[in-house]
Amino acid sequence: MFTTPRLVLIALCAALNVAVGSIVYLLKLPIYLDSIGIILCALLLASERWAGFVCASVAGTISCVIIFLLVNPFFIWFEMTVLAIALVSVLLTARFTALFRSRPLPHGTFAAIVLLCGVVTGVVSAIVSAPVVAYLFGGVTGSGSAFVVAFFLKTGEQLFKAVLLSGLAADPVDKVLQVLFAALLYRATPADFIAMLETPATTSAAGAA
Amino acid sequence: MTPNGAAIFVIVILAGALAASEPIGFLLLYAVIAAFARFELGARTFAALLRSALIVLPLAVFMIMVWVGFVGRSPAEIAAGVPGTRVAAATYVAVVCLRLFLIVLVIQLVALRFDRLTPLQFICALRIPATAKRLLALTLSLTETLRHAVERARTALIAAGVITRRPSLRNIVNGWMLVQTVWLSAITIAVGRMRDKWPIEGTIGRLDDLFQRADPQRLGDGDAIWLLLGIGAAVFGIGIGIA
Amino acid sequence: MARQLISGPNFSGRSEALRARLISRGPAFFIGPYAEAALSGLASTVADELTVYRADTARRRRPFAALDLATCADRKPQTLSGGEQVLLALQCFAQSKYRAVGIDTALEQLDGGNRADAIAFLSRLDACEVTLIDNRMAVAPADWANIACAPKASAFVCDLAGLIADLGPRAAPRIVIRDLDFSYRRGADVFAGAGLTLEPGHAYRLFGRNGAGKTTLLKILVGVLAPGRGDIWLGDRPYAPWRHGNAAFALATQNPDHQWCGATLREDVERRRSAAKLGLDTQALLAASRKLGLTSLDQHLYELPLAARKRLSWLWPLSGVMPWIMLDEPTVGQDRDTCGALAAALASFCRLGYGVVFVTHDDEFAAQVPHNIVTIENRRTSVS
Repeated sequence: MFTTPRLVLIALCAALNVAVGSIVYLLKLPIYLDSIGIILCALLLASERWAGFVCASVAGTISCVIIFLLVNPFFIWFEMTVLAIALVSVLLTARFTALFRSRPLPHGTFAAIVLLCGVVTGVVSAIVSAPVVAYLFGGVTGSGSAFVVAFFLKTGEQLFKAVLLSGLAADPVDKVLQVLFAALLYRATPADFIAMLETPATTSAAGAA
Repeated sequence: MTPNGAAIFVIVILAGALAASEPIGFLLLYAVIAAFARFELGARTFAALLRSALIVLPLAVFMIMVWVGFVGRSPAEIAAGVPGTRVAAATYVAVVCLRLFLIVLVIQLVALRFDRLTPLQFICALRIPATAKRLLALTLSLTETLRHAVERARTALIAAGVITRRPSLRNIVNGWMLVQTVWLSAITIAVGRMRDKWPIEGTIGRLDDLFQRADPQRLGDGDAIWLLLGIGAAVFGIGIGIA
Repeated sequence: MARQLISGPNFSGRSEALRARLISRGPAFFIGPYAEAALSGLASTVADELTVYRADTARRRRPFAALDLATCADRKPQTLSGGEQVLLALQCFAQSKYRAVGIDTALEQLDGGNRADAIAFLSRLDACEVTLIDNRMAVAPADWANIACAPKASAFVCDLAGLIADLGPRAAPRIVIRDLDFSYRRGADVFAGAGLTLEPGHAYRLFGRNGAGKTTLLKILVGVLAPGRGDIWLGDRPYAPWRHGNAAFALATQNPDHQWCGATLREDVERRRSAAKLGLDTQALLAASRKLGLTSLDQHLYELPLAARKRLSWLWPLSGVMPWIMLDEPTVGQDRDTCGALAAALASFCRLGYGVVFVTHDDEFAAQVPHNIVTIENRRTSVS
């Protein structure tokens, strides 16, 4: 499972999450962009779903811990969200790797697929995160989405509902962007790196097919 | 203090900070941290305080804006369905920020305490499984690789005029290109190593040899003192919360 | 023990042959052309890099100490210059227990003195096999075997003369640099009061030991680095590329992967063209890229062999879009025929009125380009 190329991939994807996610967090934008590495890891290991899920989850967990230690002290509590995003990425987004790498790129189909995968990932992420945000942090985790929560609270909504509505409003938009960036990075990744990630069993199975 | 003791100390303080709910629980933890800073870092404590403040202060200002300025009541009052007060909201924000500052401060203090060790030296000193050491070393080395890739990508894009050295609208518009270029650069570096250097040399095996040769320090008397103080403060804080 | 030089033109399979020999030999030390293939990638300081490879702390079996460790032990290996990284790699090998070493064109990045020391060190090693690829070695040294690789039909045929055949005259502006001060953060001064005048229609070779500041000067001129003090004039106008962007220089970096702006050549060119607001059309660029061995603008750049990427990195400078052409170690990893063609192309650019600045430790290449020497030494520059 954990070959050296895959360990390198995990570390790179974790670092990508930390780098992009930290910038967005510090800018207080109502999006996160802190899971691009998770989705990208799942795409790069699309040929082996279980390995893709495990590696994406490990990458997400490592970035979770680093962001928690260095930038956002709330972040460690969103581990379940990391696992949920990894699962959706492996089961849904990773089905479209051939489309993402096709040249020329069919823009209409590409946009529709990114939208679909992003919305599904966003809805799942919002539902899984809502209890943590509402009950552990009272709706404010330090990210820009707190403004959206505050707006809903001001309109008289109860806390959990305000958090859920805020999540359902912001998360799909955020995850569509993240799926888009991950798909474009996947598209740009050299083929020999993707080949290095496959184990001999996967390669021979593909050859036999 | 040894790196192993420091790692356990951080975990103990973090656990105490996350579990404590009453101000007095934080007070004891802060007292232990203050003593740690005084004896282990001395004047360098100010650098840790400054860094921690830079991380937590913007967050505190943001939370005050949202909770005190906009929402105007605390989460408990919202849940109870009462009108609430800004004072209650401010108290809530203060408790959260005290907790966050404690977490950030202990990490900064320990990081400064051992900043004279290189990451590899620090990892060698830890008593953790070899696989964990290997993953930690690879993660840290790839973080350096990514930083190097950022430098390379900046050079390429600035020289080509795609982005500018200073903040600009062009940088916001073309920021995506920087991310892509950094990713490609990092991948190329990683592929170059994994295809040629590492297999020919067995370089990862060199790392394992290094870990085997290293002699991780056992916990010492200094570690025991800080750990006992930390555990005592954490347990007291949890107990106060339960009571 | 065997010492061998693998010779042959680019794309004749030299690197594959070197790799195969080293793998069959068992664990061997490898120094490739650039940092990712010269350094372990596991260390965050020079001292740690040496620690990773040190076989025995009590004694050194094969002394080679070209780097002053007292000044650079705490530096990150990636912040060293290309030549210094190669010296660090050799020092790591010297302290290791490897009984074989393979070097793929890495010695070409060393200045004359360091290069001679490195070859002497490799030649006197006992109980150790040495395999080398080096384009600057016309013949193998005494007691070295020569393994010749035959040329293969290659898709990367280079026609530099054809590339510049359609270019017309250009009046490049004069460049004047005065009182230049620069130092890296937490580092010693690289330049202190340096000054220089570069005339159009001339070629200038930046010359100095490894780490003197040659690449640094190039980066200042394209705006990647900002000097602490100093004035630069482009013709009769002040020029501050670190503030206003690069308006005059097309740079080919030492490592070609330091200059790509996209995953494919099409992306790279479109982004440069858009940034520089140039009217160069796609067909012209495709034709130009074919002269450098590429057949499709949608070819993924990073999937090309390194030597092909190196040649492709000359596309932007040699397409004539900017009046000044800067090439940083252009001959590293390139065979002698290609180097000769490049030298002829640079001479042609000068005759057309362009300005040329190049960095090279390859005296044979430099001798083919009529040029002035800009020596960088003791934080100052002098032209001869």
